[in-house]
Amino acid sequence: MKHKEMMYMTPLPVRIWHWLNAFGIVTLCITGIQIRFPDYINIFGAYKAAIRLHNTAGVVVSISYMLWLVYYLIVARSLIKLYVPTVKDLTSGIFRQAYFYFLAYFVGQPNPHHSTPESKFNPMQKAAYLVIMFILLPLVIASGVLLMYVAPLRELLMLLGGIKILVGTHFLLACCFTAFLFVHIYLATLGHTPLAHFKPMWNGWEEETVEDDAPEKTTEITKPEIGISSTEKQG
Amino acid sequence: MHLHTRSISICLAIFIAFTGTALAAGPENEKCMACHGSAEIKSSSIRRVYIDPARFASTTHAIVGCTSCHDRVSSGHPGDSYIPPKATCGECHGPVHDEYAKSVHAPKARCNDCHNPHDARLPASMSGEDINRTCARCHDTRKTIQSHAKWLPQADLHIDSLLCITCHTGSKDYVIIMSIESRLPGSGTEFKTAGYEELAGLTRGEDIRRLIDLNGDNIVSLAELRAFNHQLRGKNMRLWGMMTPEIVTHSYQILNNRWDCSFCHASGPKAMQKSFISFPEKNGGFTRLSVEKGAILDILYGTPDFYMLGTTRSTALNIIGALIVAAGLSFPVAHGFFRFLTRKNRKESNHEA
Repeated sequence: MKHKEMMYMTPLPVRIWHWLNAFGIVTLCITGIQIRFPDYINIFGAYKAAIRLHNTAGVVVSISYMLWLVYYLIVARSLIKLYVPTVKDLTSGIFRQAYFYFLAYFVGQPNPHHSTPESKFNPMQKAAYLVIMFILLPLVIASGVLLMYVAPLRELLMLLGGIKILVGTHFLLACCFTAFLFVHIYLATLGHTPLAHFKPMWNGWEEETVEDDAPEKTTEITKPEIGISSTEKQG
Repeated sequence: MHLHTRSISICLAIFIAFTGTALAAGPENEKCMACHGSAEIKSSSIRRVYIDPARFASTTHAIVGCTSCHDRVSSGHPGDSYIPPKATCGECHGPVHDEYAKSVHAPKARCNDCHNPHDARLPASMSGEDINRTCARCHDTRKTIQSHAKWLPQADLHIDSLLCITCHTGSKDYVIIMSIESRLPGSGTEFKTAGYEELAGLTRGEDIRRLIDLNGDNIVSLAELRAFNHQLRGKNMRLWGMMTPEIVTHSYQILNNRWDCSFCHASGPKAMQKSFISFPEKNGGFTRLSVEKGAILDILYGTPDFYMLGTTRSTALNIIGALIVAAGLSFPVAHGFFRFLTRKNRKESNHEA
């Protein structure tokens, strides 16, 4: 017999950040295409509208990033635990996870990583999110801010190699985020049902099927900011 | 009647000037400039009648000659205290005068408020800085930026990089004027249009146009321009491009397409193809040298701080960016394909991950 357990995987602040970030980045990518290729693409009518929307979305993403950082670093204090891969993750976990995605998944073997509120991400996710959240996103935000204020920050821009270096960096980073979006959304459909990973990002709770003889998880009430889990027995 | 006679005489003078006998004005001018161009006048209480001889000599008005406008100088001048009358601008520049009179600018400023007749140059003989400086005499730059910022993103950058008359004009088309700018090494100050002496120092007395026009054919090829731009790296100099109206009008209107950012911020075969290099001259003026038709702003992509959104994008970066996006897209496509083919395996094992 199996039963289903409901785990509180994604606290409200993280969900708010995630969707602000998601809509912000999609808006940035689409407006960014028009800004770079105005002679081929016109989605938002006036070029100025695309720029204004791009700048606004950039500010939203920057603020939501700060909220995310403050939440995980100061409120939840779980940033390092969740996002920084362990030595074991790097020496074997990543390869085991890659083996699962590229081979084991197709022959029906189970996912070697079991998500819990304390260990939400598999080693590959940890490595990818670490790079994205601590390198790519700060870089794209910093380059974006500099490009929003070219005249007053011109000397700083020159110190960093000039405006074209910044524009090039900003553009390539944007391409990385676009590529990440495709992969991210697709991988999110690899749950036990295609929407299984989308639901917790909406209401916080993830459903998982476990054997009846498996030990029940204890309800964590001491760290509600990380997530509490409750159980719900089903046939 | 007198006015009519004077108009005829001025027109005649212009005609003579352009038919090769302009030197006739030379001795007349010299006679006037002996006093009006002297250092004594410049430092005296009547310095308002001082005229910079070098700058005046390079104007079209010098060719026309002093007496064409000041035709009733008394024989006792200057001792008789008689102030000779002068011609009005409209006597020669009738069409411009009429066009200006209809403009919103006319009630605010007279011709002389913007144009010094003793230092009047065609726009082609002026730097972008000089042209904008004329506007800034009345239009405070800080206030201009504030008023434009209400609708124009990065108004400070636009005001700094464009001629005011690029938008405030009746000219439908525009050309790109490239100028050589420089700044003191390590000063961190703003770049300014390089002067004649500075560039002459680089050519060691040779024609400064040879700095870019290497083969001296009086046309700058895109290859020559690219090579020059490459040479400037790390030398506190840069090439700078400014959009300039193809014809200069005095209507001060704003054509509808100037509100559309893609009027400038777009590339392609129709945009940014006609351009000139503006070289400084000894007398403070400028001369233009044509550049081979082509995507001239692409060349400025090699300038560290020149980038025009939507116009000077790098093709190489576009390709790299497209490959990155394609790589991201190929993962779901390929994985999804095999996922579909192997769906039975996961149903059998009941182990959907």
